[in-house]
Amino acid sequence: MSKNENKGPKKKSKKYILISIASVFLFLFIWWLYTDVFKAVPANALPSPIKVISTFFIKFVETKPEGATMLQHIFSSLQTTLTGYAIGVAVGVPLGICMGWFDKFDMFVRPIFDLLRPIPGIAWIPVMIVFFGIGLMSKAMVIFMTALIACVVNSYSGTKQTLNVHLWVGRTFGASNLEMLFRIAIPSAMPLILTGLRVALAASWSALVAAELLASNRGLGFMIQQCRVIGRPDVIIAGMITIGGVGALLTYLLKLLEKLLLKGRKNI
Amino acid sequence: MNKDVVIKCDSVSKIFYSSDKGFDVVKNIDLTVFKNEFLVLFGPGQCGKTTLLNIIAGLDMPTSGKVYVNNKEVIGPGPERGVVYQSISLFPWLTTMGNVEFGIKAAGVGKKERRKRAQYYIDLVGLQGFENTYPIKLSGGMKQRVGIARAYCIEPVVMLMDEPFGALDAQTRYLMQKELEIIWGREKRTVVFVTNNIEEALFLADRIVVLNNCPTSIRQEYVIDMPRPREYTGEKFLYLRKEITGNMDKTL
Amino acid sequence: MMNNRYLRVFLKIFSAIISIGAFLLIWHIATNGTKLGELMPGPIELISSLIKSTYTNIGKYTIIGHILFSLSRVLIAFTVGGVIGILLGTAMGWYKTAEAIFRPFYEMIRPIPPIAWISLAILWFGLGEIMKYFVIFLAAFSIITYNAFAGAQAVDPVLIGAAKMLGAKDSRIFRSIVFPSAVPYIFAGLHTAISASWATVVAAEMVRASEGAGWLIIQGMEMNNMIQILIGIIAIGIVGLLLSIIMRGVEAKLCAWSKSGK
Repeated sequence: MSKNENKGPKKKSKKYILISIASVFLFLFIWWLYTDVFKAVPANALPSPIKVISTFFIKFVETKPEGATMLQHIFSSLQTTLTGYAIGVAVGVPLGICMGWFDKFDMFVRPIFDLLRPIPGIAWIPVMIVFFGIGLMSKAMVIFMTALIACVVNSYSGTKQTLNVHLWVGRTFGASNLEMLFRIAIPSAMPLILTGLRVALAASWSALVAAELLASNRGLGFMIQQCRVIGRPDVIIAGMITIGGVGALLTYLLKLLEKLLLKGRKNI
Repeated sequence: MNKDVVIKCDSVSKIFYSSDKGFDVVKNIDLTVFKNEFLVLFGPGQCGKTTLLNIIAGLDMPTSGKVYVNNKEVIGPGPERGVVYQSISLFPWLTTMGNVEFGIKAAGVGKKERRKRAQYYIDLVGLQGFENTYPIKLSGGMKQRVGIARAYCIEPVVMLMDEPFGALDAQTRYLMQKELEIIWGREKRTVVFVTNNIEEALFLADRIVVLNNCPTSIRQEYVIDMPRPREYTGEKFLYLRKEITGNMDKTL
Repeated sequence: MMNNRYLRVFLKIFSAIISIGAFLLIWHIATNGTKLGELMPGPIELISSLIKSTYTNIGKYTIIGHILFSLSRVLIAFTVGGVIGILLGTAMGWYKTAEAIFRPFYEMIRPIPPIAWISLAILWFGLGEIMKYFVIFLAAFSIITYNAFAGAQAVDPVLIGAAKMLGAKDSRIFRSIVFPSAVPYIFAGLHTAISASWATVVAAEMVRASEGAGWLIIQGMEMNNMIQILIGIIAIGIVGLLLSIIMRGVEAKLCAWSKSGK
């Protein structure tokens, strides 16, 4: 990712990798000194790094203290997120494309969309809880709202950015309006649509954590919330690492999809 | 030369309106293009040449005046007119083959026939071996070959070319001019070619129409009857070059 | 054709009025004396409550007071996050040693949503203001750092070459070339970050607060008061929109040199 990697000679980049490794180890070492050796911070505020790592692995088989293993929480969180996200994508992408392509449709739908757009997805949590209770449905709806906005915005601007000259080519070949939409505008918009999918997924994952903090009885957000109440920071940190890891993995998978679908377009 | 009229512009004018003011972009163009003629519209600036070409293509409607192609009034784009643009006009999500067969696919030609025809024109422009390459991996000159093959592939009567080599470096430009002359020699079409490069105009044209800058109107016409292929340094070439450059609209 | 532009603006406003009017009308009909109406207030009731809430207290403050509370939290944390993010990001983008030292931590923290820090922040800082500042800080900081970093890396090598040829030192190049070139990226980051910070303050206040926009809607939920929730959401939306408009205005002014034409 970094451009620096291919700039300098190899020896130099090796030096920087060493610095990185040293800096991470130094950090962990100081953390360990403070907690395990000097006991400078109470263990119910900051556990030692060793404790966090061991808890992380133990949580995969142990249901204590809040009642489910890590995998069960991950599964529950993913189920909620992907449900809401899938609906958000299924509605948002076509909606954004239609708004971008059909001017008349845009004129009437855009004002309403512009009203909804500045509201953060998590602000819908109370409404959804009142409507749907604290089950999967309410959280899925919050995630739906979150994903919807990112999907619409990106698909819309992607479609709008279709080059005029591409449309001219289509018209000189006698393509109909719908043919131009499917064979020129949507392929043109594809990179931004995929960016939208990625942004939407990251936002959904974050909204999920918020929703689970507030109302749930399963899931990663629930886990860290419960462990805060009973003072188990080791589980909280292990949970945060898992949340970050799963989020990064989801983003990575979408990047792979992007590479697959946009193959040929980028000079690799 | 066979003097069948293919394109006829009848006092074509175009005015663009922005809020309350109107700008004359194209003014009173009377133009006749004959069958299999290579006509170059030559002029400085970027005022209305593309607009004029788009009007002939049927992508833009004239404010007044009429355009006829094969005695039929132009009211919209049609497959008898192929257009070649600058390099950005290739679809980046399609391979060479995908780009070339785009037009006949839209026209509903079956896959087997489509592939055969596209392959013929890919071979014609010398891109065999690059059928499955995406535009980003092609050089500027190759991209323009794809553009030319794509326009040829719907087998139009008229080819409209809007500064197709404008974005190329000087060397590639010379090469492409020669290449285009060969292609046109093998697959004769009526061509309207827009350029602001006098060498390109003289090398390719049967007839050069020199345009004024803003609004675009006809300044003068030159019939170029030098034998092909021409030498960029031939005596007559240099003479005409000086003559036409001297007679150009210098207002920018 | 003559007055194309005016006609377009007129059509736009006209269609907006019609579509929002239709939206309100459907809402009104759907909630007027129906089952849904028991759960949801109608638009008229909602708007009159919204107006009333600007001078009547909900909890300790009027709605304006709550908004100002949330805004002050955002602005403090956003400013700190912005300053640190810009410094760290540009430094990482230009000094490879800085990148080597800090990038690993940054990359570890980045995928963790700021909201996920709330639990830990409560353990560390208690339930008070610091906890909220910390979480909002993280939201602003991670976005701004990323953009500043990308901006400093995207600096035109020709400019650096020219400066080196003129004998400029590394630190001088950093100050007078790398940093200014990164400014458009930084502003794009600030724009995204202010929206993210606003969303984060709402989340933090929903988890724990006794005032603020997030508290308003979560308290509405606890009291089963849909009007209060919706008023809160409308206020959150309006403020979010205003923040975004202000940032865009500042950006357009300060980064005018980097935008071509139009």
